[in-house]
Amino acid sequence: MNNKMQSNEKLTKKDVFKSAIRSYIGISTYNYDSGMAAGIVWAQYPSLRKIYKKDKDLQASLDNHFKFYNCHPWLSEIIIGATTAMEEKNGVASLDAVQDLKAGLMGPFSGIGDTLIWVMFPTIFGAIAGSMGKQGNPAGMYIYAGLYLLFFLFRWYLYVLGYKSGTNLVVSLGDKLSAFTDAISVLGLSVIGAIIPSVINFKLALNFSQAGVKLSGQHVLDQIMPGLLPALLVGILYYLLKKGRKMTTLILVVILIAMVGAAFGIFKV
Amino acid sequence: MGLTIWQVILITLVAYIQRMDFATTTIFPAHSIVWGTITGIILGNFQMGLVTGATLQLMSLGVAAVGGSSTPDYPVAAIISTAVAITTGKGMAAGLALGVPVGMLCINLDVVLKLLNSFFTNKAHQLADKHEFKKMTHLIPVMTFLMPLESAVPVFLAVVFGKPIINAILNFMPKWFTTGLNVAGAMLPAVGIAMLLTYMPIKKYGYWLLIGFTLAAYLKMATLGVALIGIAAAIPTFRKQVSKSNNSSDGSEKSNGLSKEDMEDE
Repeated sequence: MNNKMQSNEKLTKKDVFKSAIRSYIGISTYNYDSGMAAGIVWAQYPSLRKIYKKDKDLQASLDNHFKFYNCHPWLSEIIIGATTAMEEKNGVASLDAVQDLKAGLMGPFSGIGDTLIWVMFPTIFGAIAGSMGKQGNPAGMYIYAGLYLLFFLFRWYLYVLGYKSGTNLVVSLGDKLSAFTDAISVLGLSVIGAIIPSVINFKLALNFSQAGVKLSGQHVLDQIMPGLLPALLVGILYYLLKKGRKMTTLILVVILIAMVGAAFGIFKV
Repeated sequence: MGLTIWQVILITLVAYIQRMDFATTTIFPAHSIVWGTITGIILGNFQMGLVTGATLQLMSLGVAAVGGSSTPDYPVAAIISTAVAITTGKGMAAGLALGVPVGMLCINLDVVLKLLNSFFTNKAHQLADKHEFKKMTHLIPVMTFLMPLESAVPVFLAVVFGKPIINAILNFMPKWFTTGLNVAGAMLPAVGIAMLLTYMPIKKYGYWLLIGFTLAAYLKMATLGVALIGIAAAIPTFRKQVSKSNNSSDGSEKSNGLSKEDMEDE
């Protein structure tokens, strides 16, 4: 076995798999000054220990990984897989490049991951499951849960993918990902549009009488446009959010308005 | 609250597992509907769990803990609301009255635990610098096991000590309070949805909002139906974007003029 072979092939399939599984530690170490760094340290430790025979080198590598790192836990595996491959190839010499890759990609990958996995999927499937569930039908819930169960079972492969393809994949993935995000946005926007009148279903409880004829306030509004109130509410909240109001503040304000509105007979469901 | 010891333990365990899952395995991370149903099953009322969970799921639409921020813990609210609704027999409104505030209080615990994580991570880093690697690998998972307390502790407290609070609320609860909670439940998704919209490319694809809204508001189309149309629209969008980036003379996505392609499609 010549030197070149030795320095390149340190990790076995089993090692890679082990680190992939260990990445399920996810964001549980999250804190404000280092993000999820401790998590990736723990996940990669067995592989890094194998790569770096000298303690001093291992320390340097870990030191690198303790630096602030925040990315979507699922997509992060692709990056970390790639960096593991880089470190396996070039050891201590690769550390700067490793950090550059992490620093450069954690932003975009977070953007895509957060949008797709923390926001889009739960909204679309959550809306469908929730609407069905409210009627007592668990079918939507099973679909939603089933989808995520599949993700869970196969997610670790992203680490292996990153490891095998290294930096090439990550770059070529970039283009496809942005097209995919656009496509998902179309889906998302249509579903959100549909959710507005169907899920946000509070109504006006006031009645009017005009020239001896009793009219329900909600009926009048519906004649103007069904779903008018929900659309207005979303519009106002959107504007406030854009202006920099915090979400938790708005949640409290909405609850307040709802309670006061109900108390004075303005709103009902 | 009329719960047996076993039920209290199980429910607290569910809360612990829920938060652990959220931070690590993410099998059911934001699935208030699932956690509510599970609680319902433990207490012998699948339906109530499902309906309560579903309500909280809808309230939590679009709400996500992006970039390390903290959000109300809706799954916790689902667990507590279901537990209260079933055991008091007063239905979902009573459950929400306790569940939602507790879910919001969890934000504070989340912040505290994250600060604690700072401390542990720094310790782990120091161990690495001293080459005490084994110790380091043992220390890090401690954080993993501490974080779920954000859910487990409030749930435990609510379930064990919530009775007097619930009774006070139930006694005080005039009719409009229930209506108020239901209205709040119907209005809250608007916050999440508005939040969601701030992330989305409205300038570029905003007209799909209009399409989805019209289908649902006027034609009363079910959300799944709109989703299918959305998927159908997403496919040509994807193809177009991919071919755009392949042709890449102008990589930017501003298409102010109509290209031949644009005119051909619709």
